[in-house]
Amino acid sequence: MSKPERAVVRRDVLDTVAASETPEGILLELRPAGLSARYYAFVVDWVIRLAAMNAAALVAPMLGGIGVAVWLILIFLLEWLYPVAFELSATGATPGKRVMGLKVVMDNGLPVTAAASMTRNLLRVADFLPFAFGFGVVSILTRSDSKRLGDLAAGTLVVHVRRTDVRTAIEEGAPVMPARPLALDDQAALVALAARAPRLTPARLDELAALAAAVSGNDGQSGPAVTRRVLGVAQWVLGRR
Amino acid sequence: MMTPLRFQELYEGDWAELQTLLEALSRSHALSRPRDGASGARAAALYRQACEHLALARARSYPADIIDRLEDLTSRAHQLIYQQREFGLGRLRRLINVDFPAAVRHHKSYVAVAAATFVLPTVLVWLLVYSRPEMILSVVDSGTASEFEQMYSPDAQSIGRTRAARTDWIMFGYYIRNNVGVAFQCFAGGLFAGLGTLFFLAYNGAFGGALAGYLTGRGLSSTFYSFIATHSAFELTAIVLAGAAGLRIGHALLSPGRLTRRQSLVEASRESMVLVYGLTGMLLVAAAVEAFWSSATWIAPTVKYGVAAVCWLAVLGYFTLQGRHAG
Repeated sequence: MSKPERAVVRRDVLDTVAASETPEGILLELRPAGLSARYYAFVVDWVIRLAAMNAAALVAPMLGGIGVAVWLILIFLLEWLYPVAFELSATGATPGKRVMGLKVVMDNGLPVTAAASMTRNLLRVADFLPFAFGFGVVSILTRSDSKRLGDLAAGTLVVHVRRTDVRTAIEEGAPVMPARPLALDDQAALVALAARAPRLTPARLDELAALAAAVSGNDGQSGPAVTRRVLGVAQWVLGRR
Repeated sequence: MMTPLRFQELYEGDWAELQTLLEALSRSHALSRPRDGASGARAAALYRQACEHLALARARSYPADIIDRLEDLTSRAHQLIYQQREFGLGRLRRLINVDFPAAVRHHKSYVAVAAATFVLPTVLVWLLVYSRPEMILSVVDSGTASEFEQMYSPDAQSIGRTRAARTDWIMFGYYIRNNVGVAFQCFAGGLFAGLGTLFFLAYNGAFGGALAGYLTGRGLSSTFYSFIATHSAFELTAIVLAGAAGLRIGHALLSPGRLTRRQSLVEASRESMVLVYGLTGMLLVAAAVEAFWSSATWIAPTVKYGVAAVCWLAVLGYFTLQGRHAG
């Protein structure tokens, strides 16, 4: 069990992954979104809100006093509850966040609760101070989990939604029996190389495969033929014989 | 011998079944149809199995596509199985009948501090401006002061209406936007060790005191006090409660007790949210009363005072008595 844990620790040094453990004892990886992604999401939402307010301002006077009242209430709702309504929807994200591939979740990765969403959005006022979201920006930049003050109080995270479009399946090929016993780390490295192979240039792939040439008994050699043999060992590790 | 390919072959069927179940369940959730009990239990069983598979796949360093697939499945199932729903009419009824008044009683020391921070500046500034009316000019300019006089003069078409607003409906919208905004500000100020809350409470109290003292000095007390008497039962108490919620947060930060400062903050925010829900409702009531009842010139001041007394008693009684015996 020690090896995968070591892998997680190694990634923690570079990545800002916030892991959350489920009651079943597995670690879910949450990837907190940094300042730039959240800034662009904010700008998109801001434009949407501005457009809604202006559209309402055009229509409201035609309805007389009630129209103006509705307009004022709409401004209030857009100011305070626009994010809450969207965060509690199935996507867990305002339109701006959806455009940027972000969503709001609780610290443990679950969908955001109503109380937490209200908290983080009411406390936006505190993030705004002293001006131009000063405290919020400092908080996001200095924390590895990129929380603003509202997120701290609500116990929420803004995370990148998992991307499912990256192709990681390994293409089939002719297996080659390894020339020597392979440790678990070596097996994992070979399989990972095979998964990345289609996305690497042939020259770079040959270079990387040459480093592992010993596994197929081609120690010190390189070239497309050696690469094929190294990838063949990966196929053998996967279970093709 | 178990290899990655064999592993995938063996369990692919279960994973696919879990995936279809998850899709079906999240769809039925969205339409809030009664869920099929058997399929829910099956999904939970498959989820636990997928968790085991993920742990095995990670421990054996299986290829990324298998681990990605299992991570995706388990995180989606985890979200669906463990999510909390706290909406609905039942929740709202419980909030009004029990949770809100109970939370006010639970936070009574914060309510007391907030009330004192609000009332003391009100009284002091009232006395100051009443004895020296020119002091109003250090709060607002002379144009605004004369507009206030006009708003609360006995021959105003509708009391408390600003010059720009033509109807009571406009004032209703204005009160909602303005007053709820002030209350939320009082609450959010708590994040700065409670100092922001104290500032906003004292500032709003002092402003109200200045206005009241000035108008009293100008001989407009009958229209002004009959105007504010009724809705203040909801509005001023709501502002004080917003202050209490903010102070709760500030105190949690300053004195976290046996929790970490962050845990303490999260806990305090979650608890004080009940107050925020309740006070928002109170401000909606206040805005309606203020726009349509308080402002009416055709209602005699004595009637307004009578109704105001009933409202104050109702609000205070609600906070002290409502929901005391409910579990």
